[in-house]
Amino acid sequence: MYQIALKMLMGDRAKYIGLLLGIAFTAFLVTFALSYFAGFITRGFALISENNSADVWVMDPAVNSTELTINMPDSTLGRVRSVKGVDYAVPMSLNDITARFPNGSFQFFQMIGVDDATLAGAPMLLDGRLPEVLHTPDSVIVDAGGSAGKLQTPLAKRDQWPFDRAHLNVPTRELMLGDELLVNDRRIIISGRSKTIPRFPPRPLLYTTYSNVTHLLPSESRRLTFVLVSAQENISPKQLANRIEQQTGLRARTASEFKEDTVHWFLINSEDVGDMAAMLILAMTVGFGVTGVMLYMFTYENLKQYAVLKAMGASASMLLGMIFIQAGVGALLGAGMGIGMCAIVGESVSMTLDYPFRMMWFTPLFGILGVLIVSLTAAAISARPVLKLEPGVVFSGR
Amino acid sequence: MSLDAEKKIAVHCRNIIKTYGTGASEVFALRGADLDVYEGELLMLVGPSGCGKTTFISIFTALLSADGGECDILGKDLNTLSSDQKVHLRAKSIGFVFQAFNLLPALTAQENVAVPLLIQGVGRKVAMQEAKLVLDSVGLGARSSALPAELSGGMQQRVAIARALVHHPKLIVCDEPTSSLDHESGHVIMKLLRDIVDNSNTTLIVVTHDDRIYEFADRMAHMDDGKIIKIETMKNQQGIIA
Ligand SMILES: Nc1ncnc2c1ncn2[C@@H]1O[C@H](COP(=O)(O)OP(=O)(O)O)[C@@H](O)[C@H]1O
Ligand SMILES: [Mg+2]
Repeated sequence: MYQIALKMLMGDRAKYIGLLLGIAFTAFLVTFALSYFAGFITRGFALISENNSADVWVMDPAVNSTELTINMPDSTLGRVRSVKGVDYAVPMSLNDITARFPNGSFQFFQMIGVDDATLAGAPMLLDGRLPEVLHTPDSVIVDAGGSAGKLQTPLAKRDQWPFDRAHLNVPTRELMLGDELLVNDRRIIISGRSKTIPRFPPRPLLYTTYSNVTHLLPSESRRLTFVLVSAQENISPKQLANRIEQQTGLRARTASEFKEDTVHWFLINSEDVGDMAAMLILAMTVGFGVTGVMLYMFTYENLKQYAVLKAMGASASMLLGMIFIQAGVGALLGAGMGIGMCAIVGESVSMTLDYPFRMMWFTPLFGILGVLIVSLTAAAISARPVLKLEPGVVFSGR
Repeated sequence: MSLDAEKKIAVHCRNIIKTYGTGASEVFALRGADLDVYEGELLMLVGPSGCGKTTFISIFTALLSADGGECDILGKDLNTLSSDQKVHLRAKSIGFVFQAFNLLPALTAQENVAVPLLIQGVGRKVAMQEAKLVLDSVGLGARSSALPAELSGGMQQRVAIARALVHHPKLIVCDEPTSSLDHESGHVIMKLLRDIVDNSNTTLIVVTHDDRIYEFADRMAHMDDGKIIKIETMKNQQGIIA
């Protein structure tokens, strides 16, 4: 009988393909929305991913994301370094700064100060350069950080550092090596460009050395945002984090814990993420609605056939089995198609347009599971009229 | 309507009552219908449209429950059967032929015929073999892999008859089997049904208001307004009924 159920499912080519496409569309929508969401969230903890050699992140006890931070005194670094089990520890300084372009326009940047000695935390550079360029005084590395069109400096010489007044709305070009900006009335020189993991929310980045931060922000008495710790081989990051917390009273999290913290922070605090979650839920509702209605209609249109089977002595459980087989097979095939489509479209879009897309192992699973649950629920609902159906309707003409 | 003691009874119904709906929309479909059908006869149930024929056969094939009265079908009292037992009775012992054929459009003729066996749990291979034999017997062996849509109305009804026969039911019930067909195809169908009765002990009940096929009946039960009003024995069948 299950074979018959499948034949019924596939008998009407047009209807069958329509059903599969509908389910595939849902699976696509759900998986894509989830991957998009995951992509954004992944960008949310880009700083942690970028510094993947840090086993433990140490921060002010009140900090619980990379997004909203407060700095600690410089002396904290020494306290962390003195904890047993710490292999090495480097400082990292995050500061929001405003930099002026040569024509007088300005832009917010996140300035990331990395350890002078090791340059741990500096990104890979474009133009074949090495992070060591940061050892030159006043030099910075600039990165779009997922933003677009925010690194524009005036094209013409006469618009740069004019004496009369600001030359706004003049032709511009992308920042290049050797360009200069002003931070706190101090000149900084673009000595490297990078294209590291885009941020969420997008923001232009300036990487520089820790000592240069001190130089650029002389009035700040606290500049140490994170201490990035590498654990010795005989201790697990988790154990070391616990030990650091106990001995210093600071917050110490393993890299993966800190990623989770940051995701959690975004989910609770970011309105953008809230908006996206709402869109995601909308997309899923629409998709699941479409699937449910299509499956329901499919069974509904076959009511007469079920009535015939029922009249001929098919039991309720047999009919239910047939309906569920139809729904299940349709759901799995459709979901497979949709998720395949999603992977292809998503990967190509994220590669060609710098688009946040991250299909995690559980994303397609969630898509399949979601579609399956919705399909089976729709089948269960559509089974009701079949089970309640007076088999006598088969006598009533057409 | 007195019974001949020697004839075995396949269907025995007394005082069947059935209403549809309630209150203002209440319809009295059956108002005390009585009927006996003998084993191995072809009984035609005739009467004007709306008099309750379909309702009546739905009740004694256990597709519909009556509001009152008694029915014994093939020795079983319907009032005492559970719904599972009714399903089993239909699957095992009753064959159906419908006015609208009601073949499953996605299945070939042979698969359609095999369905009653599959419902009973017969293996697919055996079921398909049996189906082929029965299709041969209704003259459609050559079209066994055709889909219903590829067959004429008359052919579809022959497939439907094969489907009603394949599990060797004791009782076959046909609701207006010729109403959707032209005269010639209708005749072919009735010959087929008549042959079944003549060559086996199967009981056939044919609901119709097509007077062109009355000649095929052993007896005619006339129905009007929810009751059987007259039973008529036809003379021209050389068969079981005197
Ligand atoms: N499901 C139903 N609901 C309400 N009324 C019905 C239903 N089925 C049949 N009837 C009514 O019951 C009466 C008998 O119908 P039916 O048994 O189909 O007659 P026939 O088959 O002789 O044409 C008719 O008046 C019809 O309108
Ligand atoms: Mg009728």
